[in-house]
Amino acid sequence: MIPEIGHIFLISSLVLSLVGGLGSFIFNNKLPIRKIAFVLCLLVFGAFFILIYSFVIDDFSVAYVAQNSNINLPIYYKFAATWGAHEGSLILWILSMNVWLLAFISFDKTRNTDFSNFVFGVCCLVIFSFLLFTIFTSNPFERILPIPPLNGADLNPSLQDFAFTVHPPLLYFGYSGLLLPFAISISAMLSGQPNKDWASSSRPWTLLACSFLTIGIGLGSWWAYYELGWGGWWFWDPVENAAFVPWLLTVALVHSLIVTEDRNLFVNWSLLLSIFAFAASLLGTFLVRSGILTSVHAFALDPERGLFILGIFSFFVLGSLMIFAFKNSTENATSFYSLNSKEFGLLLNNVLLVVLAVSILFGTLYPLIYEAYTGGKQISVGAPYFEFIIFPFSILLGLLQGIALYLSWGSTKSFNFMTKLILESASIFLLTLVLLFVLFDELIPASFFTIFIFSWLIVGSIFINLSFKSFNRYLDFINRRIGVLLSHTGMALLVLGVGVVSSYSDEMELIMDKGEKIEFLSRDVELLDIKDINGPNFISKTANFKILENSRTFNLQTEKRTYFPSGQVTTEAAIDTGIFRDFYISMGDNFKGDSWSFKLQSKPFIRWIWLGALLITLGTFISSIKYLRRQS
Amino acid sequence: MNPLRKQRIYALIAIIVGSILAVYLVVSALSKNLNLFYSPTDLLNNDLSPETLIRAGGMVREGSIKRSDASLSIEFVVTDFKNDLKIKYSGILPDLFSEEAGVVVQGYLDEEGTFRAIEVLAKHDENYMPPEVAKLMEEAE
Repeated sequence: MIPEIGHIFLISSLVLSLVGGLGSFIFNNKLPIRKIAFVLCLLVFGAFFILIYSFVIDDFSVAYVAQNSNINLPIYYKFAATWGAHEGSLILWILSMNVWLLAFISFDKTRNTDFSNFVFGVCCLVIFSFLLFTIFTSNPFERILPIPPLNGADLNPSLQDFAFTVHPPLLYFGYSGLLLPFAISISAMLSGQPNKDWASSSRPWTLLACSFLTIGIGLGSWWAYYELGWGGWWFWDPVENAAFVPWLLTVALVHSLIVTEDRNLFVNWSLLLSIFAFAASLLGTFLVRSGILTSVHAFALDPERGLFILGIFSFFVLGSLMIFAFKNSTENATSFYSLNSKEFGLLLNNVLLVVLAVSILFGTLYPLIYEAYTGGKQISVGAPYFEFIIFPFSILLGLLQGIALYLSWGSTKSFNFMTKLILESASIFLLTLVLLFVLFDELIPASFFTIFIFSWLIVGSIFINLSFKSFNRYLDFINRRIGVLLSHTGMALLVLGVGVVSSYSDEMELIMDKGEKIEFLSRDVELLDIKDINGPNFISKTANFKILENSRTFNLQTEKRTYFPSGQVTTEAAIDTGIFRDFYISMGDNFKGDSWSFKLQSKPFIRWIWLGALLITLGTFISSIKYLRRQS
Repeated sequence: MNPLRKQRIYALIAIIVGSILAVYLVVSALSKNLNLFYSPTDLLNNDLSPETLIRAGGMVREGSIKRSDASLSIEFVVTDFKNDLKIKYSGILPDLFSEEAGVVVQGYLDEEGTFRAIEVLAKHDENYMPPEVAKLMEEAE
């Protein structure tokens, strides 16, 4: 009975979102949009809550629960299994779109104007189409009747993990956050809202979406690193690209909105970019869930679903481009800029980011294009393609970012800062090299480029205005621009992490027997023993290592787990984390007796990648809050 | 020139230069980094150079996995139900590698027709079948 109530909640929210969507365009400003948004959110939350409840009480008559849970699954994972597969994650997605809508309406000051009405209307229509999709192709409340199974099939063991429980909600929240900039852009065109006003209303939400996308992607990368067991942090898998492309476009939008708000320029560009960022997130959903691309993320592979999402995608993209064609801004520019201005810097930033996004999207889609043109020949576009593309773009973007905060609107009067910038970044560059030499006893020229960009970025962010004579003024500057400084510093740390880990990593694969002792990068590594351990829903072989590194001794346990009832085998890596290096052991296959194969790895500076992502998340979050406060 | 037009020209030049850079990079990256997928039947008669990086795949044949006791080298046979392909690999295999499961490998075909894999691709999910292999199985049925 209870799952049916959830189903009814979904259907009522479908009806309500259609009423809200159409109503806001028909009854000018008469609709109680706050109340509708609130009730809509409540209904979807009700459905989501009932789905969680069905998981927690092991109601295997619900097909979705039966496929993704199991009696022996720890309660915490039963809860998280709700968003472990296609149907549940859609509900979570719809819920987060509702939360964004509610948040927008609560903060919006221009209440009951055409502008806020149309934002509400567009959001409702998008929510409606997602609900339609869910109810007709992916209903999570479908039952197995009359004889429900006694036990469920289980949650994929690699998802039984802490990062998994938080990574999807945050990522979906970021994805769905792109709904607001999109709706604001459409509504601005329809209502003729002045550029400054809609841009200032879009900025905090774009920043917030960017913040959640960053942390979502970062957590995904961290999870892949330790859970998949083999130490990679980015694989250029289509699913990763499906998140990375919207991220790039969102970052571009964050920057172009600054110009639109402050200078009344790039207006049509920002309108279009808002549409494309949202479109990219829909396209990503389509690619991931239709199964047309080879990916490590095995989502529901169903062509019917793919077609439905493609329909939603085409409707919103074509519809908004039509609106753009007729209603774009024809306001004449009121401010002018020259080549040495902040405007031009931000223009370059946008061109580079968007072109990079398009190139990555192209590489991701190329196997499909190729297959269509050659009549079924299959290819894959691997990591080397993407690395080749992203490297020159990162260098250019990095060089630009270093001087970005020194530039002024209109035209930059003096380029005296260049001497300071070059001298300071050269010193940081040398200091970093010394540090690396002390840590690893060698210098690898391949990493010099990224280390230089790191130094350039650091100087271009937190070193600006640094002066010990007037330290208070410096602190005041930091305080005023904390958001942008944090994000830009985060980018610097990320660049350093990527550069160092890709050139200084070391690995060794070998077979070890109980009691054996070997040397790896001047560390003594000893395999003490291998034990059998029973977990709540798995059995495992656990290898216990003792490592002696620079007179510090520590123990590490790596596991080979067999989960029941599925019988799936997973590797649990053992990681000794450190700010300068991670020491990583994973367990391979069993050979004779107690001898197993192992992979030992050293991953220097890998933490800096996620630390950087965290700073970007924080920085964009703080800026967003600041703009929201300013609004209300 | 009026400043508005000048501004548009700046924007246009930036966009054109950016796009040219991208097209150049994309084309040269694609020409180097495309790995075609071959089934064992495709590899039977071919004139591939042993230096071309390719992908191959199929179902791992039952009883074909041969390990050595003292080293990480391993041999196995994949099949597309018409023909077989012998694969040699040295290293740790992904957790989901097993007999009668689909697998995709990346590497080089040597002169004797043995595939020297440098990578055996892993998937998250045991129920998941690489689309290339799924297609081979469909064709065989």
